[in-house]
Amino acid sequence: MIQQVINGLSIGAMYALLALGFTMVYGIIELINFSHFNIFMVGTFISMLLLQAMGFNGQSTLLYGLPLVGVLTFALLVTMLATGLLGVVIERLALRPLRGVPGTAPMITTIGVSYILYNIVLLTQGGTAKNFPNPMPPYHWDFGNVTLKLREVLLWGIALLLMVALQLFVHRTKLGKAMQATAQDQEAARMVGVDVDRVIVTTFFVGSALAGAAGFIFGLYYNYANYQIGYTAGLRAFTAAVLGGIGSIPGAMLGGVLIGLIESIGGQLIAVRWTDVIIFSLLVLVLVFRPSGLLGTAGPTKS
Amino acid sequence: MADAPSPETPGDLELLTRGKTGLAVARQRGPFGRAIDYLETRTGQLILIPLLFAFAMLFPIIDRNEGHIDAVTNAMSFAVLALGLNVVVGFTGLLDLGYAAFFAIGAYTYGVFSSYQVHPAWSSFWEPFAALGLVEHLTGVSGDVVHFTVSFWLMLPISAIVAAFFGVLFGAPTLRLKGDYLAIVTLGFGEIVPIVARNTPYLTNGAMGLNGVSTPQLPGFSFGISTTPYYYLGLALLIGLIFISRRLKDSRVGRAWLAIREDEIAAEAMGINRTRLKLLAFAIGAGFAGATGTFYVAKLQTATPEMFGFNVSVMLLVIIVLGGMGSVAGVVLAAIFLQLLQSWFLQDLTVWIHAFGKMTGMAFLLKVDLLQGIDLIFGIILVSMMLFRRQGLIPERRDVTALSHAEQTAVPTRGEMAAALPALHNRVIDTSKPLLEIKGLAKSFGGIKAVRGVDLTVEPGTVVAVIGPNGSGKTTLFNLVTGLTRPDSGKVLLAGEDVTGLSPDKLVAKGIARTFQNLRVFPNLTLFENALIGGHSRTRNGVIGAVLHTPAARREEAAARDKVMDTLRIFGNRLIPRRLHQARTLSYANRRRLEIARALMAEPLLLLLDEPTAGMNQTETLELTEQIRGLRARGVSVLMIEHKLNVVNEIADKVIVLDHGDKIAEGLPAEIQKNKEVLRAYLGRAATAAHEAAAAAS
Repeated sequence: MIQQVINGLSIGAMYALLALGFTMVYGIIELINFSHFNIFMVGTFISMLLLQAMGFNGQSTLLYGLPLVGVLTFALLVTMLATGLLGVVIERLALRPLRGVPGTAPMITTIGVSYILYNIVLLTQGGTAKNFPNPMPPYHWDFGNVTLKLREVLLWGIALLLMVALQLFVHRTKLGKAMQATAQDQEAARMVGVDVDRVIVTTFFVGSALAGAAGFIFGLYYNYANYQIGYTAGLRAFTAAVLGGIGSIPGAMLGGVLIGLIESIGGQLIAVRWTDVIIFSLLVLVLVFRPSGLLGTAGPTKS
Repeated sequence: MADAPSPETPGDLELLTRGKTGLAVARQRGPFGRAIDYLETRTGQLILIPLLFAFAMLFPIIDRNEGHIDAVTNAMSFAVLALGLNVVVGFTGLLDLGYAAFFAIGAYTYGVFSSYQVHPAWSSFWEPFAALGLVEHLTGVSGDVVHFTVSFWLMLPISAIVAAFFGVLFGAPTLRLKGDYLAIVTLGFGEIVPIVARNTPYLTNGAMGLNGVSTPQLPGFSFGISTTPYYYLGLALLIGLIFISRRLKDSRVGRAWLAIREDEIAAEAMGINRTRLKLLAFAIGAGFAGATGTFYVAKLQTATPEMFGFNVSVMLLVIIVLGGMGSVAGVVLAAIFLQLLQSWFLQDLTVWIHAFGKMTGMAFLLKVDLLQGIDLIFGIILVSMMLFRRQGLIPERRDVTALSHAEQTAVPTRGEMAAALPALHNRVIDTSKPLLEIKGLAKSFGGIKAVRGVDLTVEPGTVVAVIGPNGSGKTTLFNLVTGLTRPDSGKVLLAGEDVTGLSPDKLVAKGIARTFQNLRVFPNLTLFENALIGGHSRTRNGVIGAVLHTPAARREEAAARDKVMDTLRIFGNRLIPRRLHQARTLSYANRRRLEIARALMAEPLLLLLDEPTAGMNQTETLELTEQIRGLRARGVSVLMIEHKLNVVNEIADKVIVLDHGDKIAEGLPAEIQKNKEVLRAYLGRAATAAHEAAAAAS
């Protein structure tokens, strides 16, 4: 069971990073951003191609010490930058023209964008799963029948670092505070001089960069990349955001970890093939019985 | 204020309403637009529809290519599916991303009951079913078993009902949430249905799929392996569902769906039960999918979980977006176009590119496979349609050109507002007790007490005005009375009956209708449709009446349309000439008038007007004041929020003054003007003191 908790925390950290993007964008412009699903997937591919370009292939080359930290940091930062820019481009080209358009149009656009990303990767990278390079040495510590691997510790470290950085950004910087203000009341924020457009673009950048980081973690954890990974992971991460309370940043982190634990423990107790059904049922139950989530304040019911 | 003499005789008004200016709104567009306009006229349709029908009937005889007929049959299946999704997305504005799940449910329902997949052991329990022809008794290597042989014709409606049931089951918990949550829940639903199908091999044969599904049987005719019979069956299904779609859309139910799509809160305030109508749309959409699933599986004689994935739901969404949300003709044409693009044109094009590559020796051309790129094309269609043409290629409705200068400047008539006109509702009011009685009504938002224990009465046949500085709780008071907000404490009595905390749609039925301060007309519907929707709570037509056009349904519809004209006539020629215009194109003042007309269609005993003259000029204000006075004469009591004190002085029988959520004064307009509390609330203490000093000095 403890083994399942360790596994759950690792995938939970990934879902948390992914859920953050959903929750931040929803908090700012009340839009479920379906393109987020596949920004994550593109992140996995970018980091994979990057590592391959640096000469890593499969598990052939292992790094230790500083070189390992350097390579991982470099790959992480480049991936985050690339997906962050992708998010900015999507916002500028596809979503900004639709700002303020009522109804389903903006959501349909994000579905379209998501589908475009999905199919570009399918057409250029092919449909078969790719081996994700993993330069981490297979160190592990055994505690009885529980194994803690080095890569898990590293993943937790990356996720924790990013979440702390996000908290600092949101609470300590001017732009972060502008973001909070915009989430509360866009008009009022505009009136006190907040450049709302800039805040929205920043939100997309940060959210998408975190999705890229989640994609990188996915690759390192599962050692493969496939064009279909965004769909399931995205749905689970969205469930995490709802579970934690949509619009709440700590809620997304908590929700992500809980979904990770539910996935690994539930998969163990019932059967892995039912995992999606379990998580979907959870989504419906939360929406019905506690629409504001665990840490959220405002529910998603219409006024 | 005396009734201004009307420069127009009633004959002129008749001309305006029935004559050329009202109906045949001149349209200025190119030849293509004019052709489409012509096709929309009755003569155009009398020519077009038989032509299309004849072509569809003759197609398999003209084109004897089995592959082509099959492609068209598939296209028709997807057109039917898209029509079902159009009810949900296009009419009602609910984004359903898991629509393929209902397709799957219909498919498996038929598949399971007409294949060899499920075969319980034979016992006498099954004998009555065998006698009805629903099962067969088979004796094989595994002993005596039951083979389900339920007829296709029986399963077609059953599958539709089963799918509709699942639609309600999944819609019920989520439809009260905001639309975007519905999207994600349906996305999840669309994902788990194929997973469940894969994980329950007992019923579905898992990933390998159901085999040996029976074909439809007709006496003396076998469907066999030829595609042609399926073509005609699909055509019949398509024609039937086009018919149902069109009838539904142009009905009381359809208009209620459109109202929900346009503005949920206004829809509810017009007496529409949102949850019930959304569920109905969901169930009907799912039913269309269930029937199509049955047809599709009967045609393929197999069903696998892969047939019902997310890509199917996306393709259906693309069809609707491309054709035009809510546009029946657009959706059908887009479905057929996209299907033929896939199964016909892109294949041919790929073959040509390959041939060209071989001829010219350009090897990379041999690798091109446009069919692989179809999903990418779908994604691009979705985004570009949303960015550049949200209304679709064949929009649900198109703009009519503005009125001519002469029509615009025609002198507004008020002559129709004679007291002799019939009452606007036909209920008897007990004049001995108050029509509306509010006792100690209170509401807080967080720490702010918006309304604190207000008492108020409206006697039958009176106009009561509520005034007060901004933020004094007037609109909150209205929201409490009309059910948009639930009070923390206090009571609302309508003609002695406790109606506290009822939902807006129930309150409309009881006889309280309202208008909104910041205008909530249904922007993309015509003025006439807006007004018709107001009558929702006073009409009864349901789905069956809408589809079958029963005599009762037709009578009710005709009566409602007549009543709209009678109601619009209150505003002289302000609204009637514009009744085919979309509400969003109306001027501010006309939208205010339309809101009043729409509310009057609900036959209210009590009409709540929230700043009815805001944004109107002096003449328009006077005109409306007169019209509101006329409503009282026709049996409607009015409770209004108004800032213009000349309006209040002119028509109010009683004035209530609110300040910081408290009632600070109540009385005749003349009394209120002298009230010290009121002066202080409006002008502050210093001004009051100055006023007193001036009074003492004189």
